[in-house]
Amino acid sequence: MPLRAARVGRVGVVGAPVAKTAVVAAAVTPGPSPVAKTAVVAAAVTPGRPGRRRI
Amino acid sequence: MEERSLDELGPVDYLVVEFPAGKSNFTGEMAKELLALVDAGTIRVVDILILTKDQDGTVEAMELSDIEELGELARLESELAELLAADDVIHLAAAMDPGSTAGVIIWENLWAAPFASAARRSGGQLIANGRIPIQAIIASIQADEAAIPVGG
Repeated sequence: MPLRAARVGRVGVVGAPVAKTAVVAAAVTPGPSPVAKTAVVAAAVTPGRPGRRRI
Repeated sequence: MEERSLDELGPVDYLVVEFPAGKSNFTGEMAKELLALVDAGTIRVVDILILTKDQDGTVEAMELSDIEELGELARLESELAELLAADDVIHLAAAMDPGSTAGVIIWENLWAAPFASAARRSGGQLIANGRIPIQAIIASIQADEAAIPVGG
């Protein structure tokens, strides 16, 4: 189906072809314990965990 | 939609959600969650397109209004700003695999607008922003774990 006329001939906002990002599900699937890996990630973004920042 | 000044606009993001051939399972759950974000005032949907890419790479774009049985999403249709141009469709579809369908959504982060406006009034200027992929967090944690000495 054609795009609405208002979309044709206008300057776009995306700018350049978009590359496919890695699929998140695939990143947490490999390995012996994907559930444990997901829990670790959740812990990493939870407040109160010991600091790991080194600058 | 009420008129708002440029200073009051929140950051605008997009995402492309791909449904590989034969793997879509539309139950209305996505629409429900999207509308919940709109109704909560968290986001404002600026634009939506549905893209299909044939095996030969041909891309077709559908407007929200082209979809039959739009259901509750119909109430978004009149609010869309049609921001995306035809060029954008080609750029966004570059990420799609042949044979897939994708939903493209552009939204304004209404939740961020008051903070961004306050930052500007305070003399601040945005010099960087972005998203941290979950994959990067996993890699960082794994690198940390690998660096810990055995028994340490």
